[in-house]
Amino acid sequence: MAHVSMGEAHRRIADYLNRFADAVSYQDGASLKKLLSLSSNSSSLLSLADALAVFHDSNRLIKQSDKFSHLAEILLPLFRALHSYRIGNLVDSYQSYEKSANAFIQEFRNWDSAWALEALYVVAYEIRILAENADRELASNGKLPEKLKAAGSFLMKVFGVLAGKGAKRVGALYVTCQLFKIYFKLGTVHLCRSVIRSIETARIFDFEEFPKRDKVTYMYYTGRLEVFNENFPAADHKLSYALKHCNRQSEANIRMILKYLIPVKLSIGILPKDWFLEKYNLVEYRNVVQALKRGDLRLLRHALQEHEDRFLRSGVYLVLEKLELQVYQRLMKKIYIIQKQKDPNKAHQLKLEIIVKALKWLEMDMDLDEVECIVAILIYKNLVKGYFAHKSKVVVLSKQDPFPKLNGKPVNS
Amino acid sequence: MERSGHFQRRNPSHSSPSSSSSTSYRQSAHSRSNRFAKSAPNSVGRRISGHQEPEAAKNEPSDPPAIAGTCPFMCPEEERAQRERLRDLAVFERLNGNPSLSSPSLAVKKFCRTITSKQVRASDVRPLPILEDTLTYLLNLLHSAKHPFEVIQDFIFDRTRSIRQDLTMQHIVNDRAIRMYQKMVKFHVISHYKLRNHSSFQDASSLHYLNLEQLTKSLTSLFDLYEVNRSSNSACENEAEFRSFYVLLHLGSNSQLMGESLSLWFRHVPSSIMRSKEMCFARELLRFFRFGNYKRFLNAVAAEASCLQYCIIEPYVNEDVHDPHLIPTAAQLSCSIAIIQLQCPAPRVYWEEFNIFET
Repeated sequence: MAHVSMGEAHRRIADYLNRFADAVSYQDGASLKKLLSLSSNSSSLLSLADALAVFHDSNRLIKQSDKFSHLAEILLPLFRALHSYRIGNLVDSYQSYEKSANAFIQEFRNWDSAWALEALYVVAYEIRILAENADRELASNGKLPEKLKAAGSFLMKVFGVLAGKGAKRVGALYVTCQLFKIYFKLGTVHLCRSVIRSIETARIFDFEEFPKRDKVTYMYYTGRLEVFNENFPAADHKLSYALKHCNRQSEANIRMILKYLIPVKLSIGILPKDWFLEKYNLVEYRNVVQALKRGDLRLLRHALQEHEDRFLRSGVYLVLEKLELQVYQRLMKKIYIIQKQKDPNKAHQLKLEIIVKALKWLEMDMDLDEVECIVAILIYKNLVKGYFAHKSKVVVLSKQDPFPKLNGKPVNS
Repeated sequence: MERSGHFQRRNPSHSSPSSSSSTSYRQSAHSRSNRFAKSAPNSVGRRISGHQEPEAAKNEPSDPPAIAGTCPFMCPEEERAQRERLRDLAVFERLNGNPSLSSPSLAVKKFCRTITSKQVRASDVRPLPILEDTLTYLLNLLHSAKHPFEVIQDFIFDRTRSIRQDLTMQHIVNDRAIRMYQKMVKFHVISHYKLRNHSSFQDASSLHYLNLEQLTKSLTSLFDLYEVNRSSNSACENEAEFRSFYVLLHLGSNSQLMGESLSLWFRHVPSSIMRSKEMCFARELLRFFRFGNYKRFLNAVAAEASCLQYCIIEPYVNEDVHDPHLIPTAAQLSCSIAIIQLQCPAPRVYWEEFNIFET
């Protein structure tokens, strides 16, 4: 931290106060937002922080001038937040910023148009980021992290402020997305439900009115929720929307969407091409796709094990595990095709023994009972059409379309 | 730490998100199950319209200070005196069976939902050593042959909830808290099994449900404690088994009670725990069960399940065999026979021996 003279400190603080007050008077959202983005580490805010370290009488400075005294409840805690942030007292920086943000919201409600929406976005963003920092500090000190949870409550209040008839309501989706990020991080995604309900059913909101960027983010998160709940058709719809409307330039975002969309597509029987996986660096799915194509159970299991951490972190592991059924179907189909080539008349009668053998070649040790169980399940889930001749340990396949394709529908549960 | 609604910090009409809402529980199991008959209020639902007025919440401190309890008994003296007067004493708290007389060695503080940290006095809160002794005392009651299990369970259920409340109010999150939570979770797991199987009590299913709710809550709190104590690895040797309970609770359709899905939960589990023997076992079981591969499921259970794990798994063993959805084809009969021939013995559950509570 650079040392600053008292005079210089006074000047910097006064300068900031003037800019803040001007931004408010002239309804200059673009300028205002820069003055609120604490974590951006902009040079002007850093130099302000240095000044605050030296000059401790901002209270008087603010209250004695008509120009900014009405903004005192926003400015004073904001200064404290900035100062705390600078000296690494992250819990206090969150707490003070929240106080400031609270006062800001009160003023925001009184302002007429939606001019300050950009600034509000910054405040919402900062609340989340500072809360995350604060929780990290709490955890490292052996305390229970609770600031991010508080940030969630705060943003719900902000959401409430925006959920009205005026022009400000287009900001609600941005705040919603910040809430999603918080709830996902905390793991309390069931709390997303109430916001989702508001967005999707409240008459004041028209989804098409929201900014595109927010719509994409929204669909991404709600799509992910559907993935976690294994609602594949809904997940497909939402994630595909996000993909379609996502900025072509932001490859990182596209990749993030695809990370979830691919397992969904696989679950409804649609396989991506290899070059596609390569282009977006999603090589972890390569072997999974191969296993599905070849009916290679061993390869699937191996692929899941190899990238286990990654799949667990993103939450798609259980979805990919479920693909086993389709792999079995593919294996059976291949056996059937081979048999058909040898003896087309008897091909539809598949001896369970043969499947056991095939699995043994794949180093999967299963006995007749287990194979019978698996085939029973495949039949039940409509992946195989046929029945058992139990005594002779044979599956009798339907002569027509014994291995129905999924055709964009998930496996029957 | 309890995240239930009684620990309000902000605007009281704007309850903090909690994993499930709690309804107040009185001493008698009868009134408890009556409460269960009404549907529990959904605190999340109140925020639907989002039309919250941001009030004077800014004047409230965002950090209620942790209380340092000073109560030297299992029950604060004032509460004990009051309950003696009101004849509100559980059967275990009565001196010589007298319904209006207790003693410091018998009375145990009740759970009270409506208490917030602001109203509470230090003399009403028990410090950690007292809480530990109280817990030991309570769990020893499980030995008692004089009363039916439901009665004992109900008492311990309520009184351990009060213990957790005291721990929360004092912000106790160290390894000793972990040990206490582990014991309480074990109690709930055993209750889970016993209430299902041995209960002749007519409201057993609601007791079972309520117990499951507390089991989940304590488990979740325990996981938070593991996280907080991550750097000092002292009390985390059993973490893998306790994590596996959470996975096993997801077997079958009971997952509605769990709230968030398992996929989401996995994201926050450390890799080392994921790779542990207990977690791998639980995940494998889950896979076999979801797939319908009952043969491997039953074999794995017979081979690897610990006593406590079995307490959770047991309902699904029976479901597996009898549920027609899992064995849908003409092979049904023969497969059932195959299972019976498997002869996998259920591991005997030795909860009478308190090895289970020693750690």
